[in-house]
Amino acid sequence: MPDSQAWSPVLELGPSDFGSYGDWPQALLSQTTSALVWVLFLEDVISPDSVLKPGGADSEGLLQSLLAPLALRLQRISAPVVVAWSAARPGSPIGEARAPSPWRQLTRKLSDDLYDLAARHSNLYVIPLDDVLQEGRRTTFDARNYYAARCRLSRQGLAATAQAIASVLNRVRLAAKKLLVLDCDNTLWGGIIGEAGLSGLVLGGDGMGKAFADFQRAVVRCSRNGVMLAIASKNNAPDVLDVFERHPGMVLNRDDIVSFKVNWDDKPSNITAIANELDLGLDSFVFWDDNPMEREQMRLALPLVTTLEVPNDVTIWPAMLDSLDLFTKFVVTGEDVAKTKQYKNRSAFLAQKIAVTDEEQFLCSIAMRPGLHALGASTLARASQLCEKTNQFNLRTIRHSAASLAALGKTCGDCAFLVSLSDRFGDHGIVGLVIAIPAGQVAFLDTLLLSCRVLGRRLEGWMLDQLVAALRRQGCRWLVAQFIPSGRNAVAAGFLSKYEMTQAIPDSMPADAELRKTVARASGGGTIYFADLDSFKVPHLKVFSSC
Amino acid sequence: MLMTNLTALLKLRFPAAVIREGDETLQVGSFPEWDSLANFDFLMSVEERFNVRFSVDEMAELKSLADVTKALRAQGVNE
Repeated sequence: MPDSQAWSPVLELGPSDFGSYGDWPQALLSQTTSALVWVLFLEDVISPDSVLKPGGADSEGLLQSLLAPLALRLQRISAPVVVAWSAARPGSPIGEARAPSPWRQLTRKLSDDLYDLAARHSNLYVIPLDDVLQEGRRTTFDARNYYAARCRLSRQGLAATAQAIASVLNRVRLAAKKLLVLDCDNTLWGGIIGEAGLSGLVLGGDGMGKAFADFQRAVVRCSRNGVMLAIASKNNAPDVLDVFERHPGMVLNRDDIVSFKVNWDDKPSNITAIANELDLGLDSFVFWDDNPMEREQMRLALPLVTTLEVPNDVTIWPAMLDSLDLFTKFVVTGEDVAKTKQYKNRSAFLAQKIAVTDEEQFLCSIAMRPGLHALGASTLARASQLCEKTNQFNLRTIRHSAASLAALGKTCGDCAFLVSLSDRFGDHGIVGLVIAIPAGQVAFLDTLLLSCRVLGRRLEGWMLDQLVAALRRQGCRWLVAQFIPSGRNAVAAGFLSKYEMTQAIPDSMPADAELRKTVARASGGGTIYFADLDSFKVPHLKVFSSC
Repeated sequence: MLMTNLTALLKLRFPAAVIREGDETLQVGSFPEWDSLANFDFLMSVEERFNVRFSVDEMAELKSLADVTKALRAQGVNE
């Protein structure tokens, strides 16, 4: 769903390009040095039927083909790649009480493989969408959108996905926050020390006391991950230190805090002082305070400080702090390196098994099997749907009705056909349509279109090759084709010349009268090409033979 | 009122387009950005705004402000 408002968190980061649906191999194999985001719904790429069928699929091989273009990109280009992936599909957790389904096994393997790749390549970032889309499958996925527009997600799902991707890209671009500044009264504990006294504070034990203690535990976890802690509290300093030293419910220690600012000055001044003391930029500060007045003052005085909108309900705080991604660092530490080595030893995955070095090898490895279907009663509905909906790879964008297709099917015989495709990832169904109208020695290519789901697989070349064979059987000598720009079919513009048809230029064309007449008759502007079927050979077809 | 709200949504989705107030004939293709995929996105924003739900067929068939108005009225929306 390109350019939807739901994508605005990502679009706000800078100029963005959306690839076509199903275009992931080409995007990954392209030479672009921009950051690349791959939103992968496993079910769109690997048909669950092929995995769940008795006997199972070669899941190892499937995943190798799936990840080969990614692995290749990571080796070649150092720009960040974000893989936001989901394997969600309906299933019964009860049915899996004793053993995981083949789909779950595949999902797990994919997750392992992605993190293996991430361990090898510091420019790969993995987002498990099934964890991101916590708003619940029911509100984030939308079957209606899938069947109407091949979009798995609802608006909420799109927005949550975009938010996760933007967060990762922001973490790559912007430095992680370094310091968490905390208030004390009603933040680290319940109640006000100056009024309630040590014994009157709500901290530790059950109920709300436990919530405050758990929040402190989350703060300690932050500190263990390298975040520095500071205190900014309007209080008498001895009172606060007394709580730190003597309250039995305290989880935080005095030593955990790098700077205490307990006084009656305003908090922006205190934070500026901390920044100077520690020689840190204000943009590495995060401010946590229960008091909305203090937060508002901080936002106005020091906009560089990240002031969190803290909810009133303290019970949410521990989880909120744990899931905060402001402090996430993507740098590699000594420990990370050790972990990476373990990964490397455990898995001999891509490095050895995948020998894909370019697009051609990738296309060979997915074992494409195209199929031909006559244009007739059983295929008319799909053919007219394709004519209606195909905007991108469509040479002339003629919107034939079912009735006119039926007539063309009768007139053209073998020269009008539909094309289906299946490959390692499953069955894509009928995805292409070719109609050539033969008249004597010359055939005119009325329609050649291909669903955007299968672009970039050279299937258009295979279709042309099948047409050439059919025309030869009918005794045709010439094929005339035309590209009419529609404003949206730029992707098809180079097709006829790429497959080595000759542009028809009146002065330099063969003298054949029928050929010249057909070329002259082609209306609608655009560019006209022809091929001499006596010698024409469709190139780039190696990927359809066993290689 | 309904038309005013729809026009506002349309302007939000297509900020660069010139959109006349209350023009029911506006439809997919009225300006280049309004293609079928953008229309789908627009219809989702209509659903959100009016708290309605269109069917798969409606998502493909509602192509003009007049169509959308009619479909909303059919679901009891009059605001």
